[in-house]
Amino acid sequence: MSKLFPTQEIGSIKKPADMLKKVKDPNVSDEEKIKVRNDAALLNIKTLEDIGLDIVYDGEVRRVEMYEEPVRYVDGFEFAGRVRSWDNKYYKKARVVGPVAFKQNFHAEEFNFVKDNSKRELKVPVTGAYTLADWSYDEHYKSKDELILALARNVVRPLVKDLVGLGAKIIQIDEPAATTHPAEMDIFRESINESVKGIDAKFVVHACFSGNDYKALAPQMPEIKAEQYTLEFANRDTWNTGLDDDARKGFQVLKLFKEHGFEGEIGIGVSDVHVNEIESPELIRDRILYAAKALGDPTKVYVNPDCGLRTRTREVSFDKIRTMVKGAELAREEIK
Amino acid sequence: MISSYTFGIYPRSEELIEATRKNTENLDSLFQSETEGYISAQKNANLGFVSDPLLKWDDIFRPFSNLSEVTPTALNRIYEMNTFYRVLSFDGSAFTDGGNTVKSNLDSSLPKNKTVAIPEPFTFAELHTSNEFKRKEDFVINLAKMLRVEIDSLVESGFEVIQLLAPSIAYNKEVDFGVVSDALKIITDGLKAKTILHTYFGDVSTKIESLLDLPVSGLGFDITTTPASSIEKHSFSNKSLTIGIINSFNTAIEKPQECIKQVDEINANTKPKESYVSNNFDLEYVPKEFAMNKISVLGEIARGAKDV
Repeated sequence: MSKLFPTQEIGSIKKPADMLKKVKDPNVSDEEKIKVRNDAALLNIKTLEDIGLDIVYDGEVRRVEMYEEPVRYVDGFEFAGRVRSWDNKYYKKARVVGPVAFKQNFHAEEFNFVKDNSKRELKVPVTGAYTLADWSYDEHYKSKDELILALARNVVRPLVKDLVGLGAKIIQIDEPAATTHPAEMDIFRESINESVKGIDAKFVVHACFSGNDYKALAPQMPEIKAEQYTLEFANRDTWNTGLDDDARKGFQVLKLFKEHGFEGEIGIGVSDVHVNEIESPELIRDRILYAAKALGDPTKVYVNPDCGLRTRTREVSFDKIRTMVKGAELAREEIK
Repeated sequence: MISSYTFGIYPRSEELIEATRKNTENLDSLFQSETEGYISAQKNANLGFVSDPLLKWDDIFRPFSNLSEVTPTALNRIYEMNTFYRVLSFDGSAFTDGGNTVKSNLDSSLPKNKTVAIPEPFTFAELHTSNEFKRKEDFVINLAKMLRVEIDSLVESGFEVIQLLAPSIAYNKEVDFGVVSDALKIITDGLKAKTILHTYFGDVSTKIESLLDLPVSGLGFDITTTPASSIEKHSFSNKSLTIGIINSFNTAIEKPQECIKQVDEINANTKPKESYVSNNFDLEYVPKEFAMNKISVLGEIARGAKDV
């Protein structure tokens, strides 16, 4: 993208309450449910465009959740039941009971709708093979590595290939589980490379922050076939404006990426998705300028929230994105 | 036949998850009936010791948030799991309430042969914070003092075996076994109950010698992370040995005959003072249907294994 500091979303936004009510209502017809989902997708796309986001999608408004959605449509999985995330929050976890295989492009309808309703660049989020394997019970494959590679080759790759065939140009592979197992970075690298093998598109990898602070990921980054990483930084940064190391504590690891020879783009997380407080445009500006200096090239910096915003209210989410866009404008003015 | 028990939090049923979410009128009775169901399942499986399924516990540390001068704070990932616990901040110097914290959160209908699991002090200090104790060692020792009061109260009410959960000793590359030992001494000195230190969430192959020197009655191992071959290199003639053979991280149900063979081999090579079989960590990592099957298989393994 020719514009400096392009702005983008990571993926999920809280679904509109009226949409959820209608899609769960057994008395609402299937036709009406399709319309309700389309309306919600359109609302998200237009809101993001009106705010001024450069790269958009639909807030994953049609997807149940990032793990359950793909697993529903992949051969070899059976849902086992719910497992705790924390307190009384649970997620559905599936068993792998046979060879995993791609059946259909479960994001095709979603992608075609977004493509038909936006003139902006689109970034399609797709759940990665490593995370699908890590969040499942494996009763079929001999090892976790074998399951990961089967998912990469037989599920993620055909899905991505099909999306690219439909016109997708930027694919974001979501891997929240990746950094939770620092010792498994080799198979993670291999899974991404197998997932994208032979496919002509721009690939972005999104990995959440874990206690390891991306230190295990950094040495792998130059070897992974991804042009961009969208990562979390804001959630451990200070809220003070400024361009010094003390103010920008959360962004120190950027220097490590460079030391390890990564020369690609970083989608820097400038908004903390775990708090309701809205960062000021000046704080966003300084986070961007610091990242540009740390990477040594402002054209390598993309701007996004740390992660998907679905745990925030819609109002807070759009306010955070709005401020992010303003902060990017301020940063561009500084660079002129 | 050898002895057996489970430890940790059991899974809530789908019905209980929904009832908790909606805070339904029958929530308390549902918690009670499900607790009793799990207790019955353990009795029916003839487990040597029966444990409370801890269904109301949101994580293994949460009851301690009721202690004076302790505040629950942010969520934090449990090691490399996709599950989170709430970090507790110990803000004062004397965080005790007289030993009623764990006991008051256990079901009163447990049989005489009962066991309970609580985190050991080193793990506790690793996963929580203190504004009062700047040095980790001081925090560990003060937590040990608090836990001793809790354990005394539990032993007084009839608990014969106390499981001490030690995932940080397994997970952390560096462990100060001097501090671990000092803290465990506070807990076990003169205690009229058995204490078994359970390691899981990491391979402890290189730490077994140090673990054998700790002042506890026995050691428990997750054999999905610490290979049986590593355990078998050591003599357990002065310690009890618990083999965590039931995998709480996979829905695949263990094959009893294969497990019995493995347990017999480990016991033959280690010659433990006493032998137990258990789960490797909290059964809540599999849904209820699978947890129930695994309890039954655990009983079968214990009955089939050769006495030591």
